[in-house]
Amino acid sequence: MKDANDLIENVLCLVELTNQGEDYMNEINSLDLKGFAINAVNSVFDMMLSLEVEISDADSQAVVDVNKIVGSVSFAGDVMGSISIQVGGDFAILMTAAMLGMELEEVDGEEVSDVIGELSNMIGGDLKSRLCDSGFPCQLSIPSVTSGSDFKIESRGWIKHECFTFCHQQHTAMVEVFIKSGG
Amino acid sequence: MSLKILTVDDSKTIRMIVKKAFRPYDCEFFEGEDGAKGLVLAAQEKPDLIVLDITMPVMNGIEMLSKMKNEPGLKDIPVIMLTAESGKDNVMQIVKMGVKDYMVKPFKGEQLIERAKNIVKLEPKKTEEAADEPSKKYFSLDGDIQVLVLQEKATRQVAAQVEVYLQSKIKDMIKSGMNKFILDLSKVPEINMSLIKLIMLVIQNCRKANFSIQVVGTTDLSNELKQFQETSEIPIDNTVEEAKTALRQ
Repeated sequence: MKDANDLIENVLCLVELTNQGEDYMNEINSLDLKGFAINAVNSVFDMMLSLEVEISDADSQAVVDVNKIVGSVSFAGDVMGSISIQVGGDFAILMTAAMLGMELEEVDGEEVSDVIGELSNMIGGDLKSRLCDSGFPCQLSIPSVTSGSDFKIESRGWIKHECFTFCHQQHTAMVEVFIKSGG
Repeated sequence: MSLKILTVDDSKTIRMIVKKAFRPYDCEFFEGEDGAKGLVLAAQEKPDLIVLDITMPVMNGIEMLSKMKNEPGLKDIPVIMLTAESGKDNVMQIVKMGVKDYMVKPFKGEQLIERAKNIVKLEPKKTEEAADEPSKKYFSLDGDIQVLVLQEKATRQVAAQVEVYLQSKIKDMIKSGMNKFILDLSKVPEINMSLIKLIMLVIQNCRKANFSIQVVGTTDLSNELKQFQETSEIPIDNTVEEAKTALRQ
């Protein structure tokens, strides 16, 4: 009889955990990542670069240049995930010149990497703060930067994945967010 | 005596932005790229203000700050924390650590200066340093002619600096009844958009003030300027002497 009661208790526990898991996933799914991303990107571009960007419906993979650079930061805690900003080489130089008050031809590769890394840190920091304020405490990593001409970012096992494209004149920036439950 | 400012951030970009923000003020600048280097510099230089990032490799800003608070010689140095995270918990943690102020990235240089002014007394650089020296670098008088010489590549900063001094030189010229201006570009190493904009700015301002202006440049520069719509019609003299003769005719 004791075994039967234990079994029932275990099953009830499992059901409760499953329900909690579903609630948790629903909570993550209900996060307004688009709103978070638009606010963060607009604020960073306006404040640090004095450049206006607009969200676009264009196919983000298709519009980014052949040479590209990606800055990303990860967060881990009650939620795990990453946010990255991917731009073409020309746009990266334009952004760097704008941030550092330089001419386009004065910008070097190290400065481009540093600026893209710092911008991803700011955008990631903003998202992380909003996640924390929405009840998902997490910590932020330092940014990492990848550049090249023939690579693709792929991630699996995420509860939520969103991708947004922002335009400034003929240039585009793609912001990608991946989220899954932590712990 | 100059104020000592120490900025500790792993991002060269942020260190440059902070340094640029303090440039108009009489400050001596020190930079560290992580908390460990920041601590060493703080102990060596005893800065008047530290601008400290939180997320850094090797030693983060929180750890550096807590180590400073345990050092009698460093604990009273005012710190402005820089953070990319504006979440309530993060802000509370920063405030509890006894920093003077904090700034959430993204931020503008002017905002940082406003915060710094609440903590330390920022004195503008002395007039001769801030105004006279750069002005003499570009402007000189040749008899009754004001001469503006560019000897370097026209970066945005150079163009902005010249623009500031141009306005006051034009006012001085009007007051003293002068009306002749030479823009000497013969030593400019290359043409870029900042130079084109600067040439147009100088010419437009001189025309507005009813000054006679002559532009001096090499044959190569003259040919290159003809390629740009904005400068294609501007006559270029090969030497300053030619320009002076033209002005006196």
